[in-house]
Amino acid sequence: MKTSQITTALLVSITTGIATAQMPTNTQPAQATGGGAPLPTGFDASGSSVKPQQQDPAHQGETPNPQLLGMELPLLDPSTDTVKYNGGMFDVGNNAAVRARFEKYLQQVPDDSSESKRYRAIIKDILKQTQRAGRDQRYAVGNEVLIHVGKALYQADKYPGDGGQSGTLASSIVSALDSQRQRLQRLRENKELEHDMQELIREADRWQNSSVHRKTAISAGANNSPKKGGGAVDNGGDTNTLRIAHHVKSAAKLEAAQASNTAANEAAAVAAKINYQSVLVTMLMSRRFDHVVIGARVYRHIFREGDTKLDLNEDSKAFELFSGGMGLPPTINTLDTLASNARRDVDQAIQSVHGMLARNKLGEATQGLIQAVAIGEFMQSVATFPTEARQRIARYWTLRKRALTALNARDYATVEDVAAKMKEMDVDFDDSLLLSFTTGKKRQSDLAIRNARKALQAGDEEKFNQYIQEAGTIWPRNPNLDKGVEMIAKYDEGDSVKEEFRNLYKGGEFRKIARDRERFKIVAIDPSLAKQYEEAITLVMKMDGMLQQIKTVADQDATMGPCMAYEKILEWQKEDPRYAEDKEMVLAQKDFESRAHDFVQALRDAENSEKRSEYGSALSCYYRAQCIYPHSAQAAAGIKRVMSIIVQATYE
Amino acid sequence: MAARRARRGGKKHGKTNLTPLFIGVGVVLVLAIIMGSGLFKKGTGARTADPTPNFRISDYRRDGSRFASTGNLYVFDGRIENIETIGNDRIVCISLPDRDNLQERLPLLVPGNRRLSINLTRGDRFLFETTCTTGKTADGKQVKGVLVVKNAKTR
Repeated sequence: MKTSQITTALLVSITTGIATAQMPTNTQPAQATGGGAPLPTGFDASGSSVKPQQQDPAHQGETPNPQLLGMELPLLDPSTDTVKYNGGMFDVGNNAAVRARFEKYLQQVPDDSSESKRYRAIIKDILKQTQRAGRDQRYAVGNEVLIHVGKALYQADKYPGDGGQSGTLASSIVSALDSQRQRLQRLRENKELEHDMQELIREADRWQNSSVHRKTAISAGANNSPKKGGGAVDNGGDTNTLRIAHHVKSAAKLEAAQASNTAANEAAAVAAKINYQSVLVTMLMSRRFDHVVIGARVYRHIFREGDTKLDLNEDSKAFELFSGGMGLPPTINTLDTLASNARRDVDQAIQSVHGMLARNKLGEATQGLIQAVAIGEFMQSVATFPTEARQRIARYWTLRKRALTALNARDYATVEDVAAKMKEMDVDFDDSLLLSFTTGKKRQSDLAIRNARKALQAGDEEKFNQYIQEAGTIWPRNPNLDKGVEMIAKYDEGDSVKEEFRNLYKGGEFRKIARDRERFKIVAIDPSLAKQYEEAITLVMKMDGMLQQIKTVADQDATMGPCMAYEKILEWQKEDPRYAEDKEMVLAQKDFESRAHDFVQALRDAENSEKRSEYGSALSCYYRAQCIYPHSAQAAAGIKRVMSIIVQATYE
Repeated sequence: MAARRARRGGKKHGKTNLTPLFIGVGVVLVLAIIMGSGLFKKGTGARTADPTPNFRISDYRRDGSRFASTGNLYVFDGRIENIETIGNDRIVCISLPDRDNLQERLPLLVPGNRRLSINLTRGDRFLFETTCTTGKTADGKQVKGVLVVKNAKTR
């Protein structure tokens, strides 16, 4: 028997309402699957949610078999934990209805009420009675047992958690018994009819024989001697004929009535079986396994003729499913076996969950509990599952749900955060695949943003938009997307910035450009301004480097250091007039000027003396400057220049 | 001879012949002093025998031409710090150790046509006799306040 397939069928019945769909009166498969839009079931490699597969076009428009269990039953794909049903794919663990049902179960308090205990005691007692009767012919389910079972079922029906299943089963048993009683009544009627018919036939035969005998006697008397007496017979020759005809007609009527009763019995027997079987199948699909077992055991008593075959369409997959692929017709025993196996599986699953929880294997415990709840939600072991264990699994389940939601929303940072927490809770949780996926997606998104930045730098707004959209699609909450938004905002306000940049560049305000380099970066999109932007930034960086270097050197010698720095700055300013306009450079120059006051004063006096043609004084000033700072290039040059003038002159 | 006569006379006759001798010697001494003084003045100039007082290089740096009055002679006791030779001319850079800041320098022009009796060497001290004059270049440009060495002597 394909137990897993049966299990899956049961699982899906929770979500799809297949139990009702398989009732003979339900002919709408769309309603059977919930009738709503297909649910997202998982995620493909690109992170998109997997939609249920579309129905094969070749089968579109076909009406599913409306007969009992004639619809395609769900089939489990164990490799993906998905179920194929009615042309759609469903992830059992990620199905919204399953989630809702399971979450509701996790929040429920274990059902340990006195009513519950009493109910379970009743069911247990019924199972015990029917089980003993099944094992030992001496205790075969008889009328007394049936009466006991029926009463007990009606008592169990009062418990709200029963959902009316016991009452339904009891009613089915009563209906089947009524049907059987009517059948027996008709059989008795047929026997009476047969008896009456035989009486009529015998009487008619007697009359017929009598008539024949008289005719023979009359004919002989007429030939030999006249008869004495026998006037009544003479008179009755014609009367017997009529009576015989009447009896024959009456016998025919009786026979017809007998045939009608026989036909009615056969029809009633078939209808009763189908009705009873459908109730059992419905209960199986509703996961009321105890009731299925009880009903199957009682069935053999109600329908004693020994025919336990299920009335299934032999072409249906349900027939194949219940027959176990053996080619043998499914019977009531099949339902009994399935229900018994399911009960055992659920109990084992619950035991396994307890073991997993003890070893902190929350993932496997959760999966096991989902399956146990899905299969045997109404079983005692599931209903009485402890609160503390439920809460542990609920915490893990919440994280798992958050991970799925975050994955669905492509919020990969949250996915990684949740995965880390799940790993803390579950020693066996393997996050490698999840992290590989999220890391890959994040990198793809970042790469798209990088390309967008390049596109913007190249002034290609169309490509920028394309790449930003791509990055947002891959990872909508990528924090770097904000930078992209800032970039495009800057791009939009680029015209005013460009104008401001041009003015600053024109005025030699390179340091202002450098200070706001991030804001002015946008102007670099314009190739004509890119060079100027680069020039301004490079120049300021160069000046800062020079000043830093010269300050360091100047601080090493309090006397000559400032002289050297002052003279060097003047030299730079002569080489590049932009240095003379730089405020930092000018400030540094003034600072060194004050610190090298004597030296600077000597040089200035020298220059002033030169202007007044006081070359002797000028030469003396230059010498003084040289004494203060022997490596002074200005002093050396001045000395050389003034000496040349002095010696060229003639003196009286 | 007079002295010998005086000693012999002192032994024989006492004080009788000493007065004319003293007078003669005194006259000779007076003449010698007068002549020596006259000779010295003739070789170095009458006002440059001593370094010029109250001369500050800083004053010169501020306004050199102020010192260029005609006939103004300045004597400096200076140490040669540097000598630059340009063509036939030399510019001697001296400091005035006894008088001024050691970081002050006074440039002196030693024209090529000026023959000095001594060799000027760096690091030595000399007495420089100079005049502060104004020169003129070939293109008519004035060169004010240049100290031109007239003579130099060792101290």
